[in-house]
Amino acid sequence: MLILGIDTSCDDTSASVVEDGKRILSNIVSSQEDIHKKYGGIVPELASRRHIEMIWPVVDEALKSANTKLDELSAVAVCYGPGLIGSLLVGCSFAKSVCFSKGIPLVSVNHIEGHIFSSFLDEGGPLVDKGFAQGAPEFPFISLIVSGGHTSLYRVDGFRRYKELGRTRDDAAGEAYDKVAKLLGLGYPGGPAIDRLAHEGNPAAVDFPRAYLPGDFDFSFSGLKTAVLNFLRTKVGSRKPNAELRTLNSELVKDICASFQQAVVDVLVRKTEWAAKEEKVRRVTISGGVGANSALRRELALMAKKGGLQLFIPPAALCTDNAAMIAAAAYHHFITHDIAGMELNPVAYLPL
Amino acid sequence: MKLLSNGPEETFRCGFTLGKRLGKGDTVCLFGELGAGKTTFVKGIASALGIPERKITSASFTIIAEYTGTVNKATVPFYHIDLYRLQGIAELDSIGIEEYIGRDGISVIEWAERLGEVEGSISVTFTIVAEDKREITIEGMDETGRNNL
Repeated sequence: MLILGIDTSCDDTSASVVEDGKRILSNIVSSQEDIHKKYGGIVPELASRRHIEMIWPVVDEALKSANTKLDELSAVAVCYGPGLIGSLLVGCSFAKSVCFSKGIPLVSVNHIEGHIFSSFLDEGGPLVDKGFAQGAPEFPFISLIVSGGHTSLYRVDGFRRYKELGRTRDDAAGEAYDKVAKLLGLGYPGGPAIDRLAHEGNPAAVDFPRAYLPGDFDFSFSGLKTAVLNFLRTKVGSRKPNAELRTLNSELVKDICASFQQAVVDVLVRKTEWAAKEEKVRRVTISGGVGANSALRRELALMAKKGGLQLFIPPAALCTDNAAMIAAAAYHHFITHDIAGMELNPVAYLPL
Repeated sequence: MKLLSNGPEETFRCGFTLGKRLGKGDTVCLFGELGAGKTTFVKGIASALGIPERKITSASFTIIAEYTGTVNKATVPFYHIDLYRLQGIAELDSIGIEEYIGRDGISVIEWAERLGEVEGSISVTFTIVAEDKREITIEGMDETGRNNL
């Protein structure tokens, strides 16, 4: 059974053909990074316009690489939220048009649900580094979704059986990366830049605060961002605007990157570990853009090994936004006859 | 009016106090740099409108987050707008912010300097005085016909 997945929730236009909810026949992602880089972040209007330009070519390529055509699809699945409303609209309108004109069933998928199901894709197991579990996880499992827009822990007992254990009370982890990168003049996106520099820095150089928020599984990264700002101020001895802080020597920048990253990773890993323990669950999955972070992957693997947990981490390309995960989740909707109507509208704020 | 906050709890309380005086159609513009306490203040306002504090997170990612608040037992849409990622006025024309501001709901706008002047709005400026001290300046309460805080 072939499902075409479409994801245009943020700044990547993606289309993918997935067989039976797990085998990826194609997964095309057209990144807009170059367009948004010069603005230091995603500009929604530019993102929507680029989606309009790219949606046809990307879908076309996804079908061609999968050696299939629209008539052979069982369904078209589209991400309808959460995300940037203008971007979501492009994907939803496109999917609805295709389904309407071709008489193909339409399936709507929550972006977060897509991330949860990225671990079910075949490539979610065997391709990853040693030490990670292979194949699809069995229920129940703990899922850490961590990206520029989300930082949440879920307990997943089955399809449609998701329990949010906690989430960020302020900034998402990826957002903290972007904001700190901006403070350090490292540009956008901040994650890969900080990750790279962190390798050369000392993670114990600066003792940035870890907000463990004992008592629940919520996260908070806003204080960490402010702590980095305060540290920079003291170092530079200035109350000047952010741009003035970028005159640091490169060794210090590397140490700040390493120390900041360590603070983020410590909290994410510990809270995931606590969640597994508290819920008495032996399996953990992770997805979202920050799931591509090398330090997080390494430390989660260590934690899992020590605690005897099974860890499922998709390869980096399936952690960041992609349409294969949308098609993977859509498979479960489709086989349970959960079909969307033509009145489907995207929603920017859409809790799972 | 100038207020001094000695930490996030006090910033939250300032937001709550302001929130209790808001009604349909009000727009609050927030100014101040990263880490000054804007989102904490928004949580305070939201809390005064009966929206659980925990529900309000940074809106930098989606730019506009919509919630349902309550004023005098009537429901009022609450729009949390965060323009951190937006550059230049030209972009703003096309994201549809004007469809939210001053209409049926209460709008709070972070990084409002990227919007230019919003007529009839209440403006709140955060200045970092020390690591956990913030000066909060509130202007525009009189023009909107309400008493001072």
